[in-house]
Amino acid sequence: MTIGEIGILYGAGTLALMFTGMPIAFALGLIAVVFMFGFMPPSSLDTVTQNVYEEMASITLLSIPLFILKGAAIGRSRAGADLYSAIHAWLNKVPGGLGIANVFACALFAAMAGSSPATCSAIGAAGIPEMRARGYSPGFAAGIIAAGGTLGILLPPSITMILYSVAAQISLGKLFLAGIIPGVLLVVLFCIYTAWKFTREYAAAKQAFDATGKASAYLDTQTYTFAQKTSMLPRVVPFVTLLLGVMVALYGGFATPSETAGLGAILALGLVAVVYGLWRPKDLAPIIEVTLKESTMLMFIIGMSLLYSYVMSYLQISQSAAQWIVALQLSKWMLLVTILLLVVVLGFFLPPVSIILMTAPILLPPLKAAGFDLIWFGIVMTIVMEMGLIHPPVGLNIFVIRNVAPDIPLGKVIYGVLPFVGLMMIAILILCLFPQLATGLPDLVFGAAV
Amino acid sequence: MSGGLPSDLQPELVNAPGLLGALARALSGVHAMVMRLSMLALIAACIVLATSVFLRYFLKVPTDWQDEVSVFLLVGATFMSAGFVQERRGHIGIEAVASLLPPSINKLREYFCDLGSFAFCLFFTWKSWTLCYEAWNEGQTTSSSWAPSLVIPYGLMSVGMTLLTLQLLIQCVAIFFGPQTQSGETK
Repeated sequence: MTIGEIGILYGAGTLALMFTGMPIAFALGLIAVVFMFGFMPPSSLDTVTQNVYEEMASITLLSIPLFILKGAAIGRSRAGADLYSAIHAWLNKVPGGLGIANVFACALFAAMAGSSPATCSAIGAAGIPEMRARGYSPGFAAGIIAAGGTLGILLPPSITMILYSVAAQISLGKLFLAGIIPGVLLVVLFCIYTAWKFTREYAAAKQAFDATGKASAYLDTQTYTFAQKTSMLPRVVPFVTLLLGVMVALYGGFATPSETAGLGAILALGLVAVVYGLWRPKDLAPIIEVTLKESTMLMFIIGMSLLYSYVMSYLQISQSAAQWIVALQLSKWMLLVTILLLVVVLGFFLPPVSIILMTAPILLPPLKAAGFDLIWFGIVMTIVMEMGLIHPPVGLNIFVIRNVAPDIPLGKVIYGVLPFVGLMMIAILILCLFPQLATGLPDLVFGAAV
Repeated sequence: MSGGLPSDLQPELVNAPGLLGALARALSGVHAMVMRLSMLALIAACIVLATSVFLRYFLKVPTDWQDEVSVFLLVGATFMSAGFVQERRGHIGIEAVASLLPPSINKLREYFCDLGSFAFCLFFTWKSWTLCYEAWNEGQTTSSSWAPSLVIPYGLMSVGMTLLTLQLLIQCVAIFFGPQTQSGETK
C-alpha cells in the first residue's frame, strides 16, 4: 500500500470508530494500535505504553489538572455571581451596562477559571435571569453569555493553548501573552455589539410603550449608591488579585507555568475557603472530584492523541499530507482559509484537544513554510475553535446555556449567538490585517524572534 | 460530541442483583478508595509546585525533585482515577449516531464500543505491567540527578489501567447479562 492509501485508511478508520460512539481516547488508542500491528515492526507494540507515559509525563501538560482545579474551585463558589453583581453596579449608567457587565464578568471569570463551560454556567446562572428580568430578549441574553464564555480558551490560562504550545513546540508563556490583546479585542467587539443591540431593543420597548402604554422592564431604571457599589468589592477584589498575582508570578520570572498552575490552584482553594467558607472536606471533595473526572478524561484523550500522532508520523502519513498540502501551491491566504475551514469542520465532532494534537503535525509545517507565525496562528486557530463552542451542530456552550436557562428555546439561543460568531470572524480578519495584535505583546516582553 | 462532564453522573450497575452487582459494588468500593487517594495526590502536587516557587525564589534552595514528584503524583492520579471515571461513563465519545439507531442496533453499537474499549485497555494494561516489570528488573530510573525509580509511575499506570480494564469488563458483561431498563436498553 502507498503512504497515501494508508493515510486515507487511517483517517477513515478513525472517523468510523469515533462515530460508533466509542470514547474518543480509546478509539484513538485502538486505531493507533491496530495500525502499529498492521504496518509497523512488531517491536513497536512494546513501546506503546512507554510512548504514552513519556508524552503525558510532561510537566507542561500536567499543569492542565491544576488549572482545572483552580477553575473548579472558583466555579463552585459564588465568585461568578459576586463578580457579575459588582461589575453590573459599577457599569449601571452605561447604555447596555447590564449586558456589558456580563461580558466583562465572563472575561474576568474565564481568565480566572480557564474554562468556557464553567464561565457560561457561573455567570449565566446569575446573568441570564437578571438580563431577562430587565427586558433583554432571551436570545440576546443567551448570546452574550454563550459568547462571553468562549473567552475562557483565549485568555490565559487556556488549556487549548497549553496543548497548542506542546504540539507546535513553542513557548507557553509567549502564547499566553499573545492571547491577551485578541481577547481584549473580542471583549471590546462584544461590548460594542451589546450596547448597539441594547439601544435597539430599548428603542423598540420605548416605542411600544409610547404607542400602547405597555410598560417594559427595559424602561425601568436602577441606581446604586456609591456605598452600595463599594460594599460589593471585598468579595471580588481577592479573586482579581489572584488573577493578577498569577500573571505576575508567571511573567515576573518567579514561577514556571506548571508552578503557576499549582500556586493558582492552592490560592484559589484558599480564597474560596476564606471568602465563602468552603473549607470543610465535604465542601472541597466535590471540587477535587469534578476536577479529577474532567482532567482524567482530558488527559486520556491527550495521551492517546499523542500516540495517534506518533503512529501517523512513523508511517510518514503526516509528512506526506503536509507535502501534499504544500504541493497544492495555494496562495498564502487561501492556504490559511482552507486550514481554518478544516478546523471548523473537525470542530463539528471533535473537541479542541484532539483537533490540535491530531492535526498539528500535518497543518503546521505548510503554514510555517508559507511564512505564518505559529504563535499568531495559534491565536487565530483558538478563536476558530471558540466559534465551534457556540455554533451548531456541537456548540458546547449552547448546551450549557440550555442547562442554565432551559425555558429559552434552542432556536432563540442559536439566533442569539450568531451575531457573536460574526464578531469572531471580524476579529480573525482584524488579526490577519494586524498580526502584531497577537505577536506584539510576546515580542515586547520576550523580545522578537530572530 | 457529548461534551463536558456532568458532575452528578452516577455509577452504573452497583444496584444490579446477583454476582454482577456484587462485583460491580466491590469494584466501586475500590474505585472510591482509589479516588480519595487520587484527590490527595492532586492536592499534594499543588502543594509541591507552590512550595517550590518559595523554596527556589526566596530561600534559594534547589528544586530538582519537585517537578518529578509532581509528575508522578499527577500521572498516578490520572491513571488511578480512570476506572472511577469509566464507572460513570465519563470518557466522552461522539454520541450523535446513537440517537438515530433503532434500539436493537444501538445495543450492538454499545457492545462494540465497550468491547473495543476493553480490548484496547486490556492490551495497554498488559504492556503497562510488562514495562513496570522491566523497570523493576533492570532498576530503571529517571535521567535526573535525583533519579527516582520508574517503577513508581509505571506501577501506578499499571494498577490504574487494570482497574479501568476490570470496569470495562464488567460493563461488557452487563450488556448481555445485566438488568434491563423499561425501554429495553441495558442499564
